[in-house]
Amino acid sequence: MGKTRSLSDVTALRDENVLRRVRHLGSARDGLGEWQLQRKTALALIPLSLYFVVSMLRLATSDQSTAAQWLSSPVPALLTMLFVVALFAHALVGLRSVLLDYVHTRTRLVAAELVMQGAIILLAGAGVLAVLKLFLAR
Amino acid sequence: MGRPLSPFMFPTWYRFQISSALSILHRLTGVGLAVGSVLLAWWLIAVAAGGQVFSATHAFLASPFGVLLLFLWSVAFFFHLCNGIRHLAWDAGRGFEIRTAYQSGYAVLTATVVLTGLAWLAIWLI
Repeated sequence: MGKTRSLSDVTALRDENVLRRVRHLGSARDGLGEWQLQRKTALALIPLSLYFVVSMLRLATSDQSTAAQWLSSPVPALLTMLFVVALFAHALVGLRSVLLDYVHTRTRLVAAELVMQGAIILLAGAGVLAVLKLFLAR
Repeated sequence: MGRPLSPFMFPTWYRFQISSALSILHRLTGVGLAVGSVLLAWWLIAVAAGGQVFSATHAFLASPFGVLLLFLWSVAFFFHLCNGIRHLAWDAGRGFEIRTAYQSGYAVLTATVVLTGLAWLAIWLI
């Protein structure tokens, strides 16, 4: 232990949470949005992921032009883009809750969250862009 | 603040229970699927890019290591999907009785094995 650390350094609380606690106002009351996002994306992912996986099973042994032709038609393009967005939004909430449980130093938590969120947004953007390129080029 | 975290309790203090084991697996497969989604984005980019990028990606996915990754991904996917539906039922306030929770847990494991088997059978038959 040795050196004393400030409250914000040893806890995994966010700024608004710390502020509310200092003012004796209780929690920041913004957890429900995240909870709902996790459940709503979960519900959306049931049909979307099954649609995508079944399509992948059909495309598993096909060549690039068959896959490109499939991805560039309107319904697969739309559902794949929605799948990618819902998947990465769901991962954003899930991975954050894992980080909150296992990263206990505030500086490290903020750094880990930024890296995770940056990577996820990059992947989601790249996935959507790839489908858009195929769809718009048809 | 060097206190031990809960997994430390597992071998010594906690008896193995399907409920806690599936809960941990849900998280593990969730993280695994998030890591695996890099491959999903990569595949979409490869289809859009075509040419060399696609053939290299295709060769990687068809290699023994690629097939192993896809197999692990499929197991994680079907488990997380089935157990996720179980979690949504709990969120709706259903299935909390210990007996029901155990039964739904075993149902999730069975469904995971069956769905994974069906998926790979479909690939093999096509």
